[in-house]
Order: sequence, then structure tokens, then C-alpha cells
Amino acid sequence: MVDFIEPALFAILTIAIVAAGAGVVLANRITTSALLMAFTFLNIAGMFVLLGAETIAMFQVLIYVGAITVLILYGVMFTPQSPRAYGLFFQTQKYWAALFVVPIAIFVALVAFSFRDSATLGAKGGDLLPLATSVFRDFAFPFEVASVLLLAAMVGAIVLVKRDED
Amino acid sequence: MPVGPFGIDPFIWAPLRLVIAVLLVVGLVFNGALAQIYLERKIQAVIQDRLGPLHTGPWGLLQTFADAIKLLGKEDIRARLTDKWFFLAAPSIVFSPMLASYVVIPFAPGIVGADLNVGLLYMTTLGSMTVLGIVIAGWASNNKYSLMGGLRSAGQLISYEVPQILSLVTVVLVVGTLSMVGIAESQPGWQLNVLVLPLAFVTYFIAGLAETNRAPFDLPEAESELVAGFLTEYSGMRWAIFFLAEYGEITVVSSIVTTLWFGAWHGPFVEVFPLIGVLWFTLKTYFFVVVFMWIRATLPRLRIDQLMSLCWKVLIPLTLTNLVVTATLLLVFPSTLVPVAIANWILLAAFVLLLPYVQRRRLVALRERLRTAA
Repeated sequence: MVDFIEPALFAILTIAIVAAGAGVVLANRITTSALLMAFTFLNIAGMFVLLGAETIAMFQVLIYVGAITVLILYGVMFTPQSPRAYGLFFQTQKYWAALFVVPIAIFVALVAFSFRDSATLGAKGGDLLPLATSVFRDFAFPFEVASVLLLAAMVGAIVLVKRDED
Repeated sequence: MPVGPFGIDPFIWAPLRLVIAVLLVVGLVFNGALAQIYLERKIQAVIQDRLGPLHTGPWGLLQTFADAIKLLGKEDIRARLTDKWFFLAAPSIVFSPMLASYVVIPFAPGIVGADLNVGLLYMTTLGSMTVLGIVIAGWASNNKYSLMGGLRSAGQLISYEVPQILSLVTVVLVVGTLSMVGIAESQPGWQLNVLVLPLAFVTYFIAGLAETNRAPFDLPEAESELVAGFLTEYSGMRWAIFFLAEYGEITVVSSIVTTLWFGAWHGPFVEVFPLIGVLWFTLKTYFFVVVFMWIRATLPRLRIDQLMSLCWKVLIPLTLTNLVVTATLLLVFPSTLVPVAIANWILLAAFVLLLPYVQRRRLVALRERLRTAA
């Protein structure tokens, strides 16, 4: 019974991801693209849940839907939009796009179909503990270095946008 | 043929269970909102020395039902220059994450939608998705006031998420689990978390007020300055869905407070008869809902710069200090929670006592500067 539900969910999520992803590229309006991108992120979070990685799924939604999409929407709202509704910049390059996408798609399909064993899934019981031990114990030093780097970037951004007080 | 619960084929039971759960939660949210609107009117009336709704039904009990029917019967208006699909989608983007967060609320022992091992993270994640809906609502309305309301709301929600999550992390450090059921089970009898972490409770409650757009942080939808902000162009049932989401969110925040700090379903007679846990949980949750309304009737609205400086200059340093102190004390004294509790009460006392003092000092300095300038 459960064997039937999981593939069905997988199929729904896959179709949604591919359709929404295509929509992001093909949509005429950039706000529609932004919203469809949020929808894609949500469905990818669903994929993570199917894989048994709930924590990563939660962070996917928290960061990509809750923060990054909002940031992109902000950017879109404050950008003057050109009156022409059709033919965004990259949509005029569809032949070039096809030329690059088709070989990559063939390669990805070959790799995907070469996977046969499904026994690579981790143990049940969530990914919270493995994630926490790898971030705070096994890879604590790289993690700290990355956070210092991000802190430096944040301070730099604040310095750049700060107006001179007179 | 395998037989599931109630003698139903598991193949039918799985989708049936989903439908029943969704219907139960929708019923809970709708009825909860009706009850809360009535409660809000009555409480505000008592505080403002009025009588409140009185004429429709006994003690005005049917007033909110009449209002709900009125809202359902209203014409569905969409201004011509609004952005059609975004305008129509925004209420559901706000409403559905709130609905989904009911999955992990532990009502009683064994009565919970799903005991996720990342339950608390799931709750905060869904809370952060509301921002998207409100920004879209403000933008799609094609109205300057709505846009301002939406942007204010986004700034407010993203800022207040930081102290909120930092307060939650403090509790998780002490309890040692993210599962809502695990957190509820960790506080039997009188060992409530609020006795150990009162400061985290206070900071979470303040941030929760801001997360739900409630007074004194309701400036995204301020009537007097923004003509109701992102709600301006909405009417009828779409407007009602925003308000259902707001009341549902209040219930969610109150139940997080109940679960994390006040022992969820724990109370007398729960060991004998587990179903009574639902009663204790509801009573505790509605106590905090009433506190929400009490605050709304008592405090004036903040200005946007006061709102931001309260978050970034007071709450975030405070919650960060609290987190560092709690983590250090837990490492130094791994077997007892008494030092954590003492440190937390001291920090809370410092916060409560020093805040008016600092405010007065700032006011005096401001007056001094104005006098020298004049």
C-alpha cells in the first residue's frame, strides 16, 4: 500500500518541479517567474522529505521560499519594467539555449537511468542528528570559516550602503 | 485482505484519514476564529467599559455567525487594475501554511497529526512562508498604501523571525529535542519550562505578537495611516480568509507557547484519562489568546522605526545573550537546570527593570539636544 503512495507522490512532485521550472523560463512576466520559482523550491523540499531528509527540506523552505524569493520579489518590484510584455532578454536566444540544453539533458538522463539499486537510502529516524554532528563536530572548522566569510560579506554590504552622516 | 483501523481496508483508510484530518483542522480554524472574534469583541468591550455584542442571539453569541454569513454573501470584487492571478492567489498563500502547521500541535497524549522529529522547525518554516503571501497581496493590489503595507510587513516579519527563532533555540537546548511531542513530554507535573526559561518566553511572546501582525505591532495593516495596508483592495470572503489566517496564526503561536513553556497537555487527571489533555491544552492556549487581546486593547501602536529598533537593538542582543549564557551554563553544569534558571530570571529582571530606565535616559538626552539646538 505504502509502495503505491510513494511513487505516486514522487511522480506528482517530479511533474510539478519540471513544469514549474519550465514555467520560470518561459513565463512572460518576471513576477510570475519568481512565484513559480518559489513553487519549484517547495516541491524540491517535498523531494527531500521523500528521501528522509526532513531537516534539509525545512531549511530549503525556510531559506529559499521565506527569504530568497521575498528578496527577489523586492528586487522585481523596485525595477522599472519595460512596456513590452513579451520576449524577455533570454527568450530571444532559444536556439542557443536548445543547443546547450539538449546535450546536458541527454547526459543527465543517461546518468539517471544507470542507477539501479535503491538501497542507498539512509537509515530511518530523520537526518537531524547526522546533519548536526557533521556540521558541528566533523566539519566544525570549515563551517566556522564559512560563517566568518559570510559575516565579512555582510559587514561589507552594510559599509557599502551606509550613507555618510553629516 | 488486510484490515486497518475500524475494520476499513488500509488502502481506503490512508486517503480517508487525510480527508478527515484536513476537515477537522479546517473546522477547528473556522470555529476558533468565530469564537476568537466574539471573545475579542467582548474583552475589548470589558476593557473599554462597554457591553460589546448583545442583541444577536443570547449574549450576542450569534453576532460573529451573522458577520460570517454577511462576508460569504458579499460580492467578490476585484479592482480592474489589480494583478489578477497574484491577487487571487495571495489569500491562499497566507492561509495554507497556517493550516499546515496544525499537523504537529500536540493536543493530548496520542492526539497529534504527525510527530515529526523536526516539528518545531516545521512550525517556524511555515510561519516564514506567510511573508510571501503578504508581499504578493500588497504588490498585486496595485495600490501605494497596499504596497507600503506589504513591504512593511515583510521587513517586520523577517526581522522578528530572528529573536523568535533564537528564543526557540534556547528551549531546544534545554529540552534536547525538536519534536513537539518530545517537548511536551519533557515537562511533567510542575516542571514547566517557563520556570527555567522565563526570558525566552517573554521574548518569544513579543516576537510572536509581531509575527501575527497584532497590536502593538499591527502597522502593516494600520487603518489610520495605511487604510488597512495590504488589505485595502480585498473584500468579502478573500478579506475574511486573511483574517481567518490571522486568528489561526494567533492560535498557532499560543499553542507553541503552551507546548514549549507551559507543559502542553499536562494537568490534573491526564494520567487517568488522556483525553482530558485536550481540555487543558485548549484552556492554556486560549489563556494566551486572551492575553493577545488584552495587549491589543491596552497598548498603543508603535512607529515603524521604534518597531525596528526594538527588534534589532533590544530583542536580538538580549536573545543572543540568553542563548550564549544558557549554552555555557548547560555545558558547565550538565546535570542540573538550576543555574540556567537563575541566570534567566536575572536577565529577565534586568530587561524589565532597565528598559524604562534606558528609555528615560534617551528621552532626557533628546530633550537636552533639542534645547541646545534651539
